[in-house]
Amino acid sequence: MTPIETMVRMGELAVSSERGRVLVSLGLGSCIGLALVDRRMGIAGLAHIVLPQAQGHTNENSRRFADLAVPEMLEALDDLGARRVRLEAVLVGGASMFAVSAASMEVGQRNEAAVRAILQGLRIPVAAAATGGSRGRTIRVDVGTSAVTVREAGGKDTELLPASTTMETAA
Amino acid sequence: MTRYTEMQLDALRELANIGSGTASTALSGMLGRAVDISVPNAKVLPFADAVEAAGNPEAEVTGIVLGIVGDMTGTVLLLVPPADADAMCRMLGVEPDDELGLSALGEIGNIVGTSYINALASMTGTDLEPTPPATATDMLGAIVESVLAATAQTGDVALVLDSNLMVEGEDCSISFLLVPDQGGVDQLLARLGLA
Repeated sequence: MTPIETMVRMGELAVSSERGRVLVSLGLGSCIGLALVDRRMGIAGLAHIVLPQAQGHTNENSRRFADLAVPEMLEALDDLGARRVRLEAVLVGGASMFAVSAASMEVGQRNEAAVRAILQGLRIPVAAAATGGSRGRTIRVDVGTSAVTVREAGGKDTELLPASTTMETAA
Repeated sequence: MTRYTEMQLDALRELANIGSGTASTALSGMLGRAVDISVPNAKVLPFADAVEAAGNPEAEVTGIVLGIVGDMTGTVLLLVPPADADAMCRMLGVEPDDELGLSALGEIGNIVGTSYINALASMTGTDLEPTPPATATDMLGAIVESVLAATAQTGDVALVLDSNLMVEGEDCSISFLLVPDQGGVDQLLARLGLA
């Protein structure tokens, strides 16, 4: 089956239960690509988070904030039939692209801390992460198999979360 | 979504035009060659579209970033593709691949970016200071989104003023992005009597 890629761009999120579908965020810098997968059901979501908190800022474009993106993604995963207790998280990104720069460039670290705190509050375990440092990264989430890979500039895909060997038929 | 009138965008484009004109003179002086500038764009785009407009997110590029502090805050980002960066280093007589190459690029960015910011300051009668430059060679998308993220707290859209500096007779160009913070745009427009 040829994979069909859904691009999850800056501030966007997507969920899917379609086998063969791959959710992708290209070139994550200080942003976080947060993948949530229900391996048993073959359901996955990916959010491309830009900043930690909305700070009262809410409208149709507010899913770029961690505190709004995560609940919205959970709801969308629920609608597809995912079970909260089975969800596993993978975090990619949160880099500081420019080694010496203004405080605003530490946004990558703040993003990671915010996402981890939210996940902890929801008791969703972080199964794998490729975060921090100063390199940009691309994340790919294979919806059907729950395989999650990461790639750095000029590098090859590295597996963060292994593919399922068997999958139960969705009820 | 925040919108600007056509007249406001025209004024911003004109600012970018004069700023990049000054920057091209600085670059020309450093390289000892004529430098052309393209007609600048002033684009107001959702963040995702602004990143996409910059090019293939996974393409390798060298980014040189300078912050702007003072009456207006924002960021100036210079983007140089690898082949162009190599060509520029050779014009300066340094090896592209070593530390010196990267620091030469940083210095080009510093001088070009600073002259752009100074031109903006004198046109608008504002007090603007550049912060020291930082350099990274990585995925284009990662560099651009990290710069835009700094402006994403308050606004839903990014205002990007971009233009190209092209070294005459060489296959070598720098693209030049000015990303004011949300309040910074209003500041600039107010100074021009267009708020």
